[in-house]
Amino acid sequence: MSNNSNDIDSVLIDKAKNGNEGAFKILVNKYYPRVYASLFSFTKSKEDSEDLAQHTFIKVWQQLDTFRGDSAFFTWVYRIAINLAKNFVVSSNFKKQRSNIPMEDLNIDFSSFDSVEEVIIHDESMDKISNFVNTLPESLKTAFTLRESEGKSYEEISVITNTPIGTVRSRIFRARESIIEYMKKELINHE
Amino acid sequence: MNDIKEKISAFYDGELNLSSKEIDELITFINENPILLEQISMMALTTAIKDNEDSNLISITSNKKNSNISYKSFWLSNSITAAATILLTLTVVTNFDFSRMNVSIDSSNKISSAINSKEAKIIAERSEEQLTDYVMKIVNEPGFMAGNEIVDLRNVGYQYNPSNGSNYFKDKENFQLRIEKRNFGLNKVRYWRHGNKMIYLVPLSDGRVLTLYGNITLNSAISIAQSLNN
Repeated sequence: MSNNSNDIDSVLIDKAKNGNEGAFKILVNKYYPRVYASLFSFTKSKEDSEDLAQHTFIKVWQQLDTFRGDSAFFTWVYRIAINLAKNFVVSSNFKKQRSNIPMEDLNIDFSSFDSVEEVIIHDESMDKISNFVNTLPESLKTAFTLRESEGKSYEEISVITNTPIGTVRSRIFRARESIIEYMKKELINHE
Repeated sequence: MNDIKEKISAFYDGELNLSSKEIDELITFINENPILLEQISMMALTTAIKDNEDSNLISITSNKKNSNISYKSFWLSNSITAAATILLTLTVVTNFDFSRMNVSIDSSNKISSAINSKEAKIIAERSEEQLTDYVMKIVNEPGFMAGNEIVDLRNVGYQYNPSNGSNYFKDKENFQLRIEKRNFGLNKVRYWRHGNKMIYLVPLSDGRVLTLYGNITLNSAISIAQSLNN
């Protein structure tokens, strides 16, 4: 993510520290999905992940004054989430739900893809999105990629593409809207 | 609506020059419009997906549970459900996130899978937080992996190039290297994917840990560690 986006985080964090719940709500909306998904990776349970994500943001709100900006905001949030998840994982409730798998006495952890099937699903899903991005008009695709992949500012994109900043802003927005609509349509009901 | 959504998009990118008062007004306006809150979630999602293109993906159904825990209403918003669902659909079970990285959740999974192992539990409690911080540092701080120690790897065929980010290279492989005096409780090789790079933490026989970050295979990482052990 670009520095600019982090700047916006710091603006929102400052306002949230001063009691602006609306600013905090925007931060929650921005980061909740990633926290939720990370917790799911941990717990393998949507319900537990949701509860833990909510606990995480309650704790973030309670401890916001202690965030000094030494790390990215999400890094800090993530650490809170994982600590909560760790405590949750070692709780007796969680133990009951897990089978006893002894730790292998190997010298190496093989932590890459679990199965061929997952690789195939991965490839198909990402191919779909990549293919969709590639179907965007060249001007939208370029602006979006320069912004999201390379973290260029609007001004830099304006210079690179020889386009007014207002047009850059519009193109990035339209690219995002198209991708969001596509993801909603293709993935939200994906079973 | 598209005008304001475009404005939110620019706001998200930090590209709106607004006074503090104008920002307050915009925050209020966004909060009064669930569609705009949803847009924030979805924009964050496009960033997360773009940053996780190498992620392993799984399919997960999208049923959302009504929590029976009472929270202040503003914590919960239907607007985030869609984004969370999509991200879950796209996310990794074995290799997700840590922010925009594909840093392995392997460490976390190991806690759960080995939860009844006393050894694993002790290691987890002692070291996972340190390990998390360390891996995040590798990814987030560009200069961190520039090297705290230069080692001679010519015996395993690697050349050192100090002018190019302190890289070591051989054929198509290139990486950065650090050696830590602490061992994070590691007794095995741990590795994560970050974009198209790999992060390896390899415990050395003298109690230190070798960190390699770049385009390098697991076998090469182990060979390098063995050469240092010798």
